[in-house]
Amino acid sequence: MPAHTTFVDDHDIVRQVIAGDINAFGFLVQKYQGHILAVVGNHIPHNQAEEIAHDVFVKAYQSLLTFKFKGGFKQWLSAIAVRTCYNFWRKEYRSREIPMSSCSEEDRVCLERVMASQSNQITSEKNLQKEAGELLGRAMDRLSPEDRIVLEMVYLEGLSIKEAAGFLGWSVANVKIRIFRSRKKLRKILTGFLED
Amino acid sequence: MRFNKKDYTQLETALIKAYREKEKPQVSEQWEMNVMQHIRSLGAFPFKTSPFKLFEQFGWRFAPAVCVLIVLLTFWMVKLDFAPEDEMAIFSIEHPIEASYVEMPGL
Repeated sequence: MPAHTTFVDDHDIVRQVIAGDINAFGFLVQKYQGHILAVVGNHIPHNQAEEIAHDVFVKAYQSLLTFKFKGGFKQWLSAIAVRTCYNFWRKEYRSREIPMSSCSEEDRVCLERVMASQSNQITSEKNLQKEAGELLGRAMDRLSPEDRIVLEMVYLEGLSIKEAAGFLGWSVANVKIRIFRSRKKLRKILTGFLED
Repeated sequence: MRFNKKDYTQLETALIKAYREKEKPQVSEQWEMNVMQHIRSLGAFPFKTSPFKLFEQFGWRFAPAVCVLIVLLTFWMVKLDFAPEDEMAIFSIEHPIEASYVEMPGL
């Protein structure tokens, strides 16, 4: 289906919802739940993804009047999802009790396992991925929410700086600086795991 | 143990791969119903939005204009050399009879 047709369909549904047909919003929930879950799942622990995806659709409904009919609904919804995930980490970091700077023995062991798995042909690919995912999670937990979200979007997901800036509502220059600094920080953290 | 550049590049590749290939979360069958139930509880458009919510959405847009206005007003005040205490002192010296405590606050 051409993208233009999808735009028009979505726009029609949004107009129906704004006109007072709440049930029409159900079509949008059904259509984009998979996409939103994928976006949320990239940034949030899986046990929280359901709740965050729920919040995304509720926020989208509440902000529907701010939707400009120029762009796609999917992109607008994705931006809400990314910002909701970012806010999740901001709240999470405020209430966290783990000291950010200390690297535990567990972190070091985790990194060494990934390094060993890479050079060991016998280790299964799945196992390596699991170990690497765990290590990445530990390293990301030590970054600020801003660094974390930018790093995930640009460096890990492979989005362009412009796209990431659009989703986050930040300037391109801000994202550029942030990605440069956060990559350096990640390297320092991973190196720190080994040296501590 | 220390990283060399090659090790770190390999590690980076492994981390990116792990991130991109991680499993997607699944939602329960009840999830969609719960979302729609929540949305229905908010009511149909046009629903009343709280002033705080509106401020959150639109208020920040005026922030740069407000900042500029504050700077301009400050500059204007400094240029005017307006100091209420001085004005009151001058007034009480020049008009000692009229400048009673009742008149001062403008009563």
